[in-house]
Amino acid sequence: MVTAISDDLFSPEVVNHPYPYFERLRNEDPVHWNEKYELWVVTTYEDLVWVARHPEFFSSEWWKRDPRPPYPEIDESDLGLYQYVREFFQDWFIQHDRPEHMEMRKVVHGYFTPKAMELWRPMVQDAVKVLLDEAEETGSMDAMKDFAVPLPLLVIAQMMGMPNQDRPFIRSLAEKLLFLGRGEMDRMQPLADGIQGLIDYLSPIVAERVADPQDDLLSVLAGGERDGVYTRDEVIANAILLLLAGHETTINLICNGTRAFIEHPDQWRLFQEDPEGRMVRATEECLRYDPPVRSIQRIAGEDVEMKDKLIRKDDRMRWFITSANRDDKMFPDPDTFDIARYPNPHVAFGSGIHHCLGATLARLEGQEALKALAERFPMVHSQVPLEDLEYQPSITFRSLKSLPVIWD
Amino acid sequence: MPRKLNITVDYNVCVGNAMCETFATSTFGLNEDRQSYVIDPAGDPEETVLEAAENCPVSAITVVDAETGEQLFP
Repeated sequence: MVTAISDDLFSPEVVNHPYPYFERLRNEDPVHWNEKYELWVVTTYEDLVWVARHPEFFSSEWWKRDPRPPYPEIDESDLGLYQYVREFFQDWFIQHDRPEHMEMRKVVHGYFTPKAMELWRPMVQDAVKVLLDEAEETGSMDAMKDFAVPLPLLVIAQMMGMPNQDRPFIRSLAEKLLFLGRGEMDRMQPLADGIQGLIDYLSPIVAERVADPQDDLLSVLAGGERDGVYTRDEVIANAILLLLAGHETTINLICNGTRAFIEHPDQWRLFQEDPEGRMVRATEECLRYDPPVRSIQRIAGEDVEMKDKLIRKDDRMRWFITSANRDDKMFPDPDTFDIARYPNPHVAFGSGIHHCLGATLARLEGQEALKALAERFPMVHSQVPLEDLEYQPSITFRSLKSLPVIWD
Repeated sequence: MPRKLNITVDYNVCVGNAMCETFATSTFGLNEDRQSYVIDPAGDPEETVLEAAENCPVSAITVVDAETGEQLFP
């Protein structure tokens, strides 16, 4: 009997166990029209890369251009909030196409070069050590709350020049912004609250940096205003983007990577034979095997045919990294976690002109976090059965709710 | 006379971010897979080529002095 493919991308089945779902889509209907959300779902590696590298067909300006109502539907009384949220996200540089995208990205691109990011490695190593010292003293930790969250948050806050004591406040607002990938009907209120809270918090700090630049990333952004690339609102919106993208994604890399190692003790032991020497490929495999970002959205700029499907101008589309990274046409034994895998051209950071700005930083933090765990703990165990672990019901982030661990 | 450069792009790594093309317009282009390729190793001044290589977000570009074999980047 052939059963129809469920279109509920927020169901616990798809949220908690996405890999069998997307394998089926890749095999049966790789470019799939999701009727429920009126959305194209792109699942193969080949198609994902093609879409990402043809921004002239697939626009990133979907918050601005989407003619359809939001999906899943929202409370009718929240349409005003939706409009507010929509206008805010349009200022993110990743929500632009060329040529504006290039001008806006270039302001911060030079800050994130591999060479420049390498200078942060000692600071990341120190931060990892402090966090794991604390955990070791306690004897157990929630790898999410006690390790994966504080590390990248500390790094991005320092880079941007935010006072250390503000980190918990920043995180509490950032958590509201994560509703951006969620399905709850009343999600617009927390989203709008998070946005407004961060705007209120950042506005005076940005004003200071425009007037009196410091040696930090926020001042680099503010330089974009002095050079006429950004308006003040855009500086603030993109500061929020860097704050959010600068930690939420790496949180998931550390947590999902730790989980993958708990699930595969043979790979953990292999890693421990030479943590320093194996950390680069091991981190790449974590990024492939259980990527921090599930999917990215685009909107068709014109009619395009893909795999005999006609995608019409203004149709919205999501490409699923979660799916492409397990495509057996690209990766031999794609469901095998193999920390020596090479080459490993996964698409955890997307591809093309919008390829993740912070990829080098995320890699560096992932490498140092995983290496330190391997050097310190002979074996890490989950305190709950792995099959009982739950993920946030987000279409954007592959984010565990918690990962309580012990070690021996 | 500027020295000759040997510029290579690692296709296992290149993600088509196109920053090289943006920095050194006459040296780099994108092929039909939208990955970087060298149009003309002498298309831009050496300094510009090195800036382009440094701004590659995945370090896919290697620049070598064609005469001496000295690696100039990374």
